[in-house]
Order: sequence, then structure tokens, then C-alpha cells
Amino acid sequence: MITKAQKKSQIKVITGNAAAAIAAKLARPDVVAAYPITPQTEIIEQISQFHANGEMDCELITVEGENSAMNAVMAASLAGGRVFTATSSWGLVFMYDAILAAAGARAPIVMVNVNRETPGIIAVSSGQQDMISTRDAGWIFLIAEDCQEVLDLVLQAYRLAEDYDIQVPVMVHYDGFYLSYLSEGVDVPFQEDVDQFLSVLKTQPERTKLVPGGKLGCGSHGILLGYLELRHKHVSAMERAKAKFEQIDKEYEEIFGRSYGGLVEEYRMDDADAVLVGSGSMCGTIKAVIDEKRAAGVKVGLLKLRMYRPFPSEAMIKALKGKKAIGVVDRSLCFGFKGGPIYTELKAFETKLGGSKMISFIDGIANTDITKINVATMIDTTCDLAAGKDVREVTWVSYPEAQEEGGL
Amino acid sequence: MTDKKKENLTKVMDYLKHKDPFSKGVAFCPGCGLELLLRFIPQVIGNDIVITGTPSCSAPVLLGQNNQSWHTLSYFGTLMTGAAANATGLARYYRKAGIENTVVCFNGDGTAADIGFGNLSGAAERNEPFIYICYDNEGYMNTGIQKSGTTPYGATTTTTPLGSAHKGKNLRRMNLALKMAMHKIPYAATATLSDLDDLAKKLLKAKEAKKRGFAFLHVFTPCTTGWGYAPENTIEVCRRAVKTNYFPLWEAVNGKIRMTKTVKKPKPVSTYTELIKKFAHMSEEDLQILQDDVDYEYCMLGGLSLLEGECQLPVSSED
Repeated sequence: MITKAQKKSQIKVITGNAAAAIAAKLARPDVVAAYPITPQTEIIEQISQFHANGEMDCELITVEGENSAMNAVMAASLAGGRVFTATSSWGLVFMYDAILAAAGARAPIVMVNVNRETPGIIAVSSGQQDMISTRDAGWIFLIAEDCQEVLDLVLQAYRLAEDYDIQVPVMVHYDGFYLSYLSEGVDVPFQEDVDQFLSVLKTQPERTKLVPGGKLGCGSHGILLGYLELRHKHVSAMERAKAKFEQIDKEYEEIFGRSYGGLVEEYRMDDADAVLVGSGSMCGTIKAVIDEKRAAGVKVGLLKLRMYRPFPSEAMIKALKGKKAIGVVDRSLCFGFKGGPIYTELKAFETKLGGSKMISFIDGIANTDITKINVATMIDTTCDLAAGKDVREVTWVSYPEAQEEGGL
Repeated sequence: MTDKKKENLTKVMDYLKHKDPFSKGVAFCPGCGLELLLRFIPQVIGNDIVITGTPSCSAPVLLGQNNQSWHTLSYFGTLMTGAAANATGLARYYRKAGIENTVVCFNGDGTAADIGFGNLSGAAERNEPFIYICYDNEGYMNTGIQKSGTTPYGATTTTTPLGSAHKGKNLRRMNLALKMAMHKIPYAATATLSDLDDLAKKLLKAKEAKKRGFAFLHVFTPCTTGWGYAPENTIEVCRRAVKTNYFPLWEAVNGKIRMTKTVKKPKPVSTYTELIKKFAHMSEEDLQILQDDVDYEYCMLGGLSLLEGECQLPVSSED
């Protein structure tokens, strides 16, 4: 149906994967590389169908592996094209060398990664371990909470990746098996509005392109000072990406009427004593439990991470400063540390939080549901911490044996 | 120099229609076969190519350092694992954007036959519109002479060294060019530096063929440093490789094989190996194993060249 208020979109009931595929189509990429892997496959199936129907005018490369998918879109991107590909877990790590190369080459690729576990136990199940395993590659990481945000983030990712001042590849993450296969109402924007949103890029200076006869090289042996210069520029671009993403979020709202608050989304944070920090699909459940707790008079809020790389430390400090207790929920592990990866990283800023105490929750790994009961446990524990009680630093919420074993 | 030789030389020079885009002095070893090949390609098919290269012997010269370059070609320095996929991405984008292009994916045998073979085969299966050139120096020369899939039986490398228990590579070499021809791509061929007119013709055919899809050239490129022969013998090594049928010259259009040079009385393979130190330890028996391998490969090639008809499927690259 067409929403009457704005006539700028159609509501469709679609999966997160379909939302990603439609967003990719709306962005009009020149080159798409496709390779199947659960739970991402539906994305490339839908794109292939769009291509077969003549609805998507792109070069579709059905590669023989994810490593080639990343290599193909990297080169097409450096040649000047707009590109798209999607993957998950083993696929993401199979393209790891090309992921590093693409970031170093500052190829403005947009890729969707549907989060899935990557241990030796072949876990066809949800978790953010794939994302964590690539966090230092030099890509910008965005994380979606629901199917609508999947679509919105893919479109925003193009503005961010291809921005002349940024030129860093962007990965859009969302939870496999939860959002990938979950159907919900998604406001699908019209092509002309997406074109308008992306047209800002055409007003910017052209980025350097590798073309025949251009006497230009990419991928020289950068050594000593040349290398340091490029690496520093990359780090600087990552820092600039924070403000740029806030600005893109605002412009997106002007056209499409949806804003998420930029780098982080604050939910009922104003007078909260206890705060959960989360990311991805768990946030919907957390919000629902917070509403119930609030109704019972508990002062609790949620800080949702939308951007994970660069780490939005300033925005997080601003939102969390002065809160009595913070519980960070991680859907992955940080080997060598007891707490989860996001918890461990936020710990680095503990002294800037004005005395907030922090604890870590590990949950939602390998398809264990982060249920409302689990969230209530996390909120109660964090509230106990806020009240000055002694609580565990790390809790494996769905695996009480971890606590019993006493290792943590 | 005989008149006939002079005539041949003129013929080769006639193919050099474009300027040499490389600096006069570059960082290759004296007598390097790769340097001759690398300078030859753009002089024959033009300087308006986009050439891709990987970490390898070609890298120091092809890829340049920081903002300095040894040549004026457009190039993309990339990863060994995904070289053919990179070239695919370039060629496909240029096609989409309507940019006239010749993408040359230039790799050693380590990339082509070993670590990057999967994506080479994938690009051939999809009939991607670019030229893939493998310069085969039969090993990982840039990292200090290690065994690769094209290292021949008996050859010593630093990972197939001489010892009391093992002497050189105890496995046969893979026939990369034949494998590629079996993809029935528009064009696949072997070539070497002793037969430059043959190489030039094949480069031009590859350039023409890439309009219909994938073109593959396997160029036998000896390595004076890694193999142990005198730098001035590079061309002679190539010549003897051809005359012993160690490296036969052929081409395949849509998989249909044709010999481009037939050796009437092939010399024993020992006349080739005797020039090269990496074979020096080989006994009569070892050489016979190598000879049998060479004979078998040639016999197979000859048999395939007798097949009539060719692949009738339409050849347009996937879109």
C-alpha cells in the first residue's frame, strides 16, 4: 500500500534479507557479486531475480567463492563503480584478505553481513562473532535492529562510504536467523526519493578512478613514510565518519521521515540509573522489557549501538556519563578477556563515565534466544549494581553453569 | 647473423607498434625472462591497458613504490588469492560504464596454478572479458625459489631440496594451459620468449578474443637466478624447451587445440635439462621419468588436436 500521508513509500511485509536486497536495488549499483551462504542467500537470490527481470541494471557476477566476491567488487569500486555484495560468517572470513585490502585501498564498497557464528563447531546459528573477527579491518560497521533499519542503513551506507571526505568501505550487520528470516512491515521508499538522497554524492568532487590510459596505479608497495601517511589518513577518515553519519541520519529524516539518532540510539535514558548497552535485534526485546520495568517504577534505559566501527566513544560517554550502572550485552566473545568485546572496549573509557560501574552480559550466541526473561535478569542485575550491591562482573545469561563453574 | 634470422627479427619488430612504457633500467635480475615479456606485452597490444599484478617477481617493477612508478601503464597491485576476480571486477565495471578497455591480469605460476587457481577457473567458467597471462617460472622465485604446482619432476627448489632421503620434486608438474583450454574459453595458448613472433600473434589474438570472453596465455618464462643457468642463456633455454617438446607451442580456440609449432625431430629432454642447475643431480632414471612425462603430455596434446569440431555453445560472457 501507499502511505497517504507522504506518498513517499510503500509498506511491504518482507524479511530482513529482502529489505537488504531491495535497498541494494534502490541504490542502483553498477556491479554486484553474488555467492550463497546461510543465512544471507536470500539477498543474492532476490537480486538475481531483479536482474533476470530486467529491474536491476547491473553487472551481476556469480563468483565461485566469497574471496572472489570481495576482490571483484573492490576492483570495480576502485575503477569508479558503485558496488554491492553480501555475505555471512565463513564467507566473511574467507574474504578476509580482500577485506583488509579493500579498506587499505579505500574502496567505497557497501556490503551486508548477516551475522552468524564462526567457531570450529560448525554453528549454523546467530551471533556476532563474525563481525568481531573483522572489527580491526578498517571498515565502518553499522548494525541494524529491525528489517526497516536494514533497508535504511544500506541506503545510508552508500552516502557514508562514497562520501568524498570518507571513502571507506561500510559493512551493514544484522542478526542472522532473527532478522534475516523475520518478516515485518517495512516502509520501502520510492526510487525517485532514493535517487534524490544519493544525488548529493554527484555534487561532490569525483574520486580518483582507475581507468585505461589513466596512468594511475593502485596498490603500490607503500613503505615507510608513504605507508604511514596513508594509514593515518585512513584513521582520520574513520574519525570523520562519526559526524558525517550523524549528518546523513538527519538528511535521511528530512526525506524519509525516519531518524535513529545517528551513532547511538537512546531509549528512555533521561533519568535512568541503570542502562543496558546493546546492538542489533536484541534491542527490540530490551525496549519491551524496559517499558514494563518503567511501568513498575524502575529507572532503566537502553543505549543502542548503531555504529560499531569507528567506536562511537564520545557519543557513548555523553549518553552514559553519570549513570549509576551499565550492563553491556555482547552476542560474541572476546578471547583473552572475561567480558564481551563491546564491554571490553567501553571499559577503556570507564574513567570518563563519572563513576559508572560496568558489568558484562554474554547472551544470544548460537541461537540461544535473548528472551524477555533474560533481559529482565540483566536489568535486575544492573539495577542491583546501581544500588551498590555486589554482582558478578560477567554473566553468561543462558548458561548458568558458567557461573557455577566459578571460572568467571 | 644469417639473412633468414635477420628476416625473422624484422618480423618481430614489426609487431612492436607501441612504445615501451617501462623505464630503461628496472629492478629485475640480469637475463630475466619476465622483463622481456613484460616490456613486450604493451608494445604489441598497446599502452592503454589496465594491468593487474600480485606480490611476485613482477611486483617491484610493476607495482612501484609509494607514489613512484617504473612505467606509465594503469595498474592495480592486488592479492594473489583473488587476481582473476579483481580483473573481473575491472572489466565488468568498464563494460557497464561503456569504457573501452583491455584488462591484462598478469601473474606468476604461484598465483595462476596454485593459490589463485580457483578464481582463475571461475573467471574462465564465467567467460569474463579480459586477458589472463601466466608467466611461468616454475616456482615461487620472488620469495626465494620454492616449489609450485608447475615445478617439474626432479627440479630442486628450497622446499624440494637435495637430501639423503629426497632429491628434488618427487611429483609431476601440472599442465595449467591444457586445464584452461578445457574450459573451452574463446582463446587459450602457450608461448615462450624464443618464439616472439608466435607470442606477438597470440597476444593480438588474445586481445581480439577477449571481445568474446576469456583469453588465457601461458608463457614459459625461465628464471636465471632460481634455476641456475647463465643469464645470457634465457632464450636458449626457451628454445630447447620447445625443441624437446618440454614446452610445446599450441593454441586452442573455444577448446579446439591446434599446434602452432611442430617439432619434426624432438630432442631428448636432457638437451634442455643440461643447461640448468636445478636438474643437475638427476640420474638417467630420473631423466627418463621426466622424459616419459613430457612424451605423455605431448601425446595427449596431439590426440586432442586431432579431434574434429568444436564447442558449439554461444560464447558471450555472463551478464
